Amino acid sequence: MSAAPFSSLADLLRRRAAAQPDERAYVVLSDRGREEAAVTFAELHDRAVAMAGRIAARAAPGERALLLCPTGIEFMIGLFGCFLAGVIAVPMMLPRRQSARDASAGIVADCTPRLALSLGRLIGGERGDLVGRFAGTGVEFLAVDDAAGAAAPDLPRAPRPADLALLQYTSGSTSAPKGVMVSHANLLANLAMIESAFGNTKRSTYVSWVPLYHDMGLVINVLQTLYVGSLCVLLAPVAFIQRPLTWLRAISDYRAEVAVAPNFGFDLCVERYRAEQMDGIDLSGWRLALNGAEPVRAETIERFAATFAPHGFAAGAIYPAYGMAEATVLIAAGKRGAGAVMRRLSRDGLQRHRAEAPRGSGDEQVAVGCGRALIGERIAIVDPATRRRLGPDRVGEIWVAGPNVAGGYWRNLEASEAVFGARIDGEAGAGWLRTGDLGFLDAAGELFITGRIKEVVIIRGANHYPQDIEDTVQSCHPALRRHGGAAFTAGDGVAAERLVVVQEVERTERNRIVADEVVGRIREAIVSEHEIVPHEIVLLRPGALPKTTSGKIQRNLARQLWLSGALERL
Amino acid sequence: MPPKNVTEAQICDWCLAYVKRTVGDPSIAVGPDITFPQMGLDSATSAYFVVELEEWLGVELDPEIVVEHPTIGQLARHVVSRQGGNAGAG
Repeated sequence: MSAAPFSSLADLLRRRAAAQPDERAYVVLSDRGREEAAVTFAELHDRAVAMAGRIAARAAPGERALLLCPTGIEFMIGLFGCFLAGVIAVPMMLPRRQSARDASAGIVADCTPRLALSLGRLIGGERGDLVGRFAGTGVEFLAVDDAAGAAAPDLPRAPRPADLALLQYTSGSTSAPKGVMVSHANLLANLAMIESAFGNTKRSTYVSWVPLYHDMGLVINVLQTLYVGSLCVLLAPVAFIQRPLTWLRAISDYRAEVAVAPNFGFDLCVERYRAEQMDGIDLSGWRLALNGAEPVRAETIERFAATFAPHGFAAGAIYPAYGMAEATVLIAAGKRGAGAVMRRLSRDGLQRHRAEAPRGSGDEQVAVGCGRALIGERIAIVDPATRRRLGPDRVGEIWVAGPNVAGGYWRNLEASEAVFGARIDGEAGAGWLRTGDLGFLDAAGELFITGRIKEVVIIRGANHYPQDIEDTVQSCHPALRRHGGAAFTAGDGVAAERLVVVQEVERTERNRIVADEVVGRIREAIVSEHEIVPHEIVLLRPGALPKTTSGKIQRNLARQLWLSGALERL
Repeated sequence: MPPKNVTEAQICDWCLAYVKRTVGDPSIAVGPDITFPQMGLDSATSAYFVVELEEWLGVELDPEIVVEHPTIGQLARHVVSRQGGNAGAG
C-alpha cells in the first residue's frame, strides 16, 4: 500500500484514479454472463466528481442521500458522488413492487434524507411506484445516469476521517429501524483489516453477486477491490439466484481469486449443479471462498468442496467469516488457504455453556470456526448477565472493540448506549460492542458461534425481526388476534435456520374459519412481504401463548413450548 | 426461436407437477388458482421455476412473469397467448 494513509473514501478514489487510471475497476455482467458495462478507475472518478457537483448543489455536507440503485456502475457513481460531496450515503434495497409495508418508510422517517439517487428509467416510469412511495417526504429524486453535471464542479472541503460516510440499516424492525453510523475512518480501518486478513493485492480479482446495499456486498466486495486496486466483476443477485453456475463460470473466466457469499449461496450452487453445464469451468484459481453473513454450516462446506473438487476447487479455499454492520462488516476471519476449522462438540455441554468433547454420537454437534480477531481488534466472550469476561471454551456473548466498530445508531442514544457502550465488569475501558450473538473462543483464539440472544431471524443473509413478521401475520386475516402471535426460528445451530409462526385465533372466529385457508393466507403474506417461506404455521386457541404480566409475548418460552409440543393448537 | 407447440393444459400440468415437487410438503395445497406465495414459492424459488419453464418450452421468459401472473392458471394462459401471438405474426 502507498505511504500516506487515506483520509477518506473520496481520497482513496482520487489516488486510485491517479495511480492506475486506465485499469478497469468494475465490470458488470448480464443475467446470462455477458459483459454489459465496464468502468476504469479514472472514468469512475470523473463521473463521481460530476455527480458530486449535482449532489452538492442540493444537499449540504452531513445531509443524507438514499442510494436506490440496482447492482451496476451507477451505484458506485452515486456512492462516491456522496463521499466527494460529504453527503452521508444510505444504501437501500429497492422496495419490491408488490410489497406494501417494506422498510423504506421507516428509514426515510429515521434519517430524513434530502435526496434519493436512482436510475432515470426507474424514476421515470418503469417503477412508477418508487417516487410515489416517497411522496410528501420532501425527498428529491436524482437520476445518476443523467449526463448533466459539470466536469469540475465546486465541491465542499474534502471529508475528514471522523465524518460519516454511510448509514447501514440492517438492524431494527421495520417500525423502528436503526441506522449504523459508519465513518470514513471505520471503513478505512475495516478495509485495511480485510486486505491483510485476505492477503489481497492488485491482482485479487473478485466476482460478486451479493447485493451492493448489503454490508457484505459493499465493503467486502466493491470497496475492498477499490482499496487494493483490483477488478470487481458484478452480477445481479437475481442472475445468481436463477443460474448460480453463471457465478462459477465468471470466477473461472476472469481468473478471480476471491468470491464471497452467504452460506445459502454455496448450497444453491450444489442444488443447481449440472455436470453438463460445467464445461470449461476451472475453479483452481479461486483462492478465497468466503462464507459469512449467516451461520456457516459444516455440511454446506463439505458438500460444496466435494461437488466442485473435480472442477479444480480446493477445499483450502473455504473461508468462514463472521461480521455485522455494527463493526462496519468484518469481525473475524480465517487464514487464507487453510480451509475451515471444524470442532466436534457436546450438545449437552453447550446447554451448560461449555465447549466440551462429545460423549457419544448422539451428543455430537459440529461447529465451524469463523477465524480470529482482525489486526487491531479485540474479541471478548462475556457472561451477558454478570458482564464478566469468560475464559477459553466458555460460551457467552461475543463483544468486540476496535477501530472498525461504528459510532452508534443514527439519532438513537438509548440503543447506541446499550449496544455500543458496554463495559466488562472489573476491567477498565468502555465502548465494547455487544453483538447479541453467543459463542466461544478456543485456546488458540478461534471464534465459534453457537447461538443468539437477540431476537432476530437470519435467513439467506438477511436480518428479519419477529415483530415485523408477527405484524404481517396479524394483518392478513381478521380472525387472527393482534399481539397474539410469535415468530421464531426452529434452528438448533446445525440445520439451516427455519421460521416458525404460532398465532392465536379470535375466540369469536374459532368455529367459523377454515384453518387451511387461513394458514395459506398467512404463508402468502409472509412470503410476499418478507421473502421467507415459513417452515411451520400453527394456529392456536385464544390465550394459548405465554405472555408477561404486562402482556408482552414471551417468544423464547413460546419456542420451547412449540419444541416440546405443549402449545394448545386450534 | 419458435416456441414449442404446447397447449395451456399441458403447461398447467407441467407447472403443477414442478411446483408439487419443489414444495415437497403434502400439507400445502397446490393448484392452478392458488398464488405462488401461498404455495410457498418465494422470489428465489419462483425465479428458478421460470428458468426451468423456459428450458422446457424453449422460449425466453421475463423473471417478473410470476409477479404479473401469480397463479399457474394465469401463467399458462399468458404463455399460450404469447405463443398464439408469435404464430400469428410468423
